[in-house]
Amino acid sequence: MLRFVLFRLLHAIPLLIAVILVILLMLQFIPGDPVQAMVGDFPVSPEFRAAITQQYHLDDPFPVRVYSYFVNLLHGDFGYSYQFQRPVWDLIAESAPRTILLTLVGFLIAVPFGVLVGTVSGTTRSSRVDHFWTSTALVAYAIPTFWLGQLLVLVLAVHLGWFPTQGMGPLVSRAHGLSWFLERAHYIALPALAFAVHEGTRFARIMRASVADTLGQGYIVTARAKGLSRGAIIRGHVLRNSSLPLVTVAGYAFGAALGGAVLLETVFTWPGLGLLLVQAVRMRDNMTVVGIVIFAAIAVVVINLLVDLLYAALDPRIRGRG
Amino acid sequence: MEPPSTAPGPVRSAWRGFRAALGHMAGTRHGAVGCAILLVLAIVAIFAPLIAPYDPLQQAQASLTPPSMRDLFGTDNTGRDIFSLVIYGTRTSLAIGLGAAFGALVLSGLVGMLAGYFRGPVEAILMRLAELFQTLPVIVVVLFTVALFGSSFWLLLAAIILAIWPVEARLVYGQYLRLRSMDFVAAAKVADMSTIHIMLREILPNAIRPVIVQVALDASVAILIEAGLGFLGLSDPNTVSWGQLLYVAQDYMTIAWWTSFFPGAAICLAVVGLNLFADGLNEILDPRTRGRAGGLQS
Repeated sequence: MLRFVLFRLLHAIPLLIAVILVILLMLQFIPGDPVQAMVGDFPVSPEFRAAITQQYHLDDPFPVRVYSYFVNLLHGDFGYSYQFQRPVWDLIAESAPRTILLTLVGFLIAVPFGVLVGTVSGTTRSSRVDHFWTSTALVAYAIPTFWLGQLLVLVLAVHLGWFPTQGMGPLVSRAHGLSWFLERAHYIALPALAFAVHEGTRFARIMRASVADTLGQGYIVTARAKGLSRGAIIRGHVLRNSSLPLVTVAGYAFGAALGGAVLLETVFTWPGLGLLLVQAVRMRDNMTVVGIVIFAAIAVVVINLLVDLLYAALDPRIRGRG
Repeated sequence: MEPPSTAPGPVRSAWRGFRAALGHMAGTRHGAVGCAILLVLAIVAIFAPLIAPYDPLQQAQASLTPPSMRDLFGTDNTGRDIFSLVIYGTRTSLAIGLGAAFGALVLSGLVGMLAGYFRGPVEAILMRLAELFQTLPVIVVVLFTVALFGSSFWLLLAAIILAIWPVEARLVYGQYLRLRSMDFVAAAKVADMSTIHIMLREILPNAIRPVIVQVALDASVAILIEAGLGFLGLSDPNTVSWGQLLYVAQDYMTIAWWTSFFPGAAICLAVVGLNLFADGLNEILDPRTRGRAGGLQS
């Protein structure tokens, strides 16, 4: 296991460095004035310009700039947002937990849904149940999350008035723990549902394929030959072995959601990382944009690494490869 | 039957293959529906000026009027006819879908072929590169590119291709890796055929099948991404697109549902059409999937 961990680390760290390098390289090619590209659209005085140029080594060659950026990163410095007038890291630290909360609640709905539907439709392949679910999944997967969000708002929030249309509830609150969450449950319901419809159908698809694959294995034939009941086979053999691919896909999806909640958070004005990124792009606040994108890259690489390690812990066959 | 004196030629045999494939496609349930949807969308896109009752940018009607016989899908906040806008939006979406799918096919085909056939350092570098571009979610890659360089049609297209090529490259790579060690490739090598000939004429026809399905799926991803970007208000402001209509609708949909409903339904239709088309392709290209029963059916 240790060898496997080391092997994966050796893989993940250069990947992360390369991603950050590409991002910084792309910054090189922004047309126009580099100082302006850094601070966004507002006038800069010559003194301020000189200070920025010096601080970010804009006059130095590319390698020096990259080096200083990495040194800053290692100190937890993601740059300074001149639009928000705050360090980028503060902005990230404030909004990332909200995105994680939304994603977690979304997963709480999507994973059980995917496992249930995938297993039912996978074990009854080519039956009416299966056809119904495959057709539903096809349509559900084609609906853009942001449009689904708009429809949910339209029907459940505007017409029926069951949920608030947007936001995350009171920004300042005395409540803690569970009561804090309950205060926000109302606000989180619709975005989490929109997220879960999309991811849940994807999970169901993968689970279905995986279940069908498992059913073709020799040990299922053995189990049937032993006279085990259908339910016992599904619970004891199929479910466990089929869940492995889902662990990987769901894990990767979690990493991607941290950066990819852009559209969902915009529909519901959920003040997470995605909305922050969109705001920064609209204000041409490139320092914040780059900071968030690099943070998202770190999050994805770290989470994917953890998922792979978890997978190896669950499935001893993987560890051998390393 | 063709008379034997006229050699079929690549163009004619390709056309015959295409016609045969279309025939097979119509035989599969999903493929037939997918084909029909795509055909309708293509006709709408090509003949948009003839179908649309109004100039899409003309602000002639009263603003936010509900759907009626005069304005089928109602009008938006500036009095533009949403039906005409959706019709013209088809052009943008299909162009992005087709362009991105084709661009990604060329790029990933090249990368996958080289990596899979030559292995060694070429493989290591190219496949690491694919992994690099796959790290961040597609929408983040596109958003980042657009944020830095602007959102003209061509830049957007390039950004989408840059974000979606790795999946397909891995597919091509896997195919070449599998096929390069097969007997027919060894035979071609013994026959002293050039490497390019082996890669393009010997392996490619055998490798292309799963890739074609992926191309159709790529087109649907590209359409969704373009719509998403439009929804964020970051697509090319000079073109009409479904996503952009949803962006505008965001502020008005609580009082005018039609501003959001019809453009969104159009996106769904295109994506469902492409997915069904891909399903159909999958079925006719891989006959093994037909009629395979589940293991627990008794």
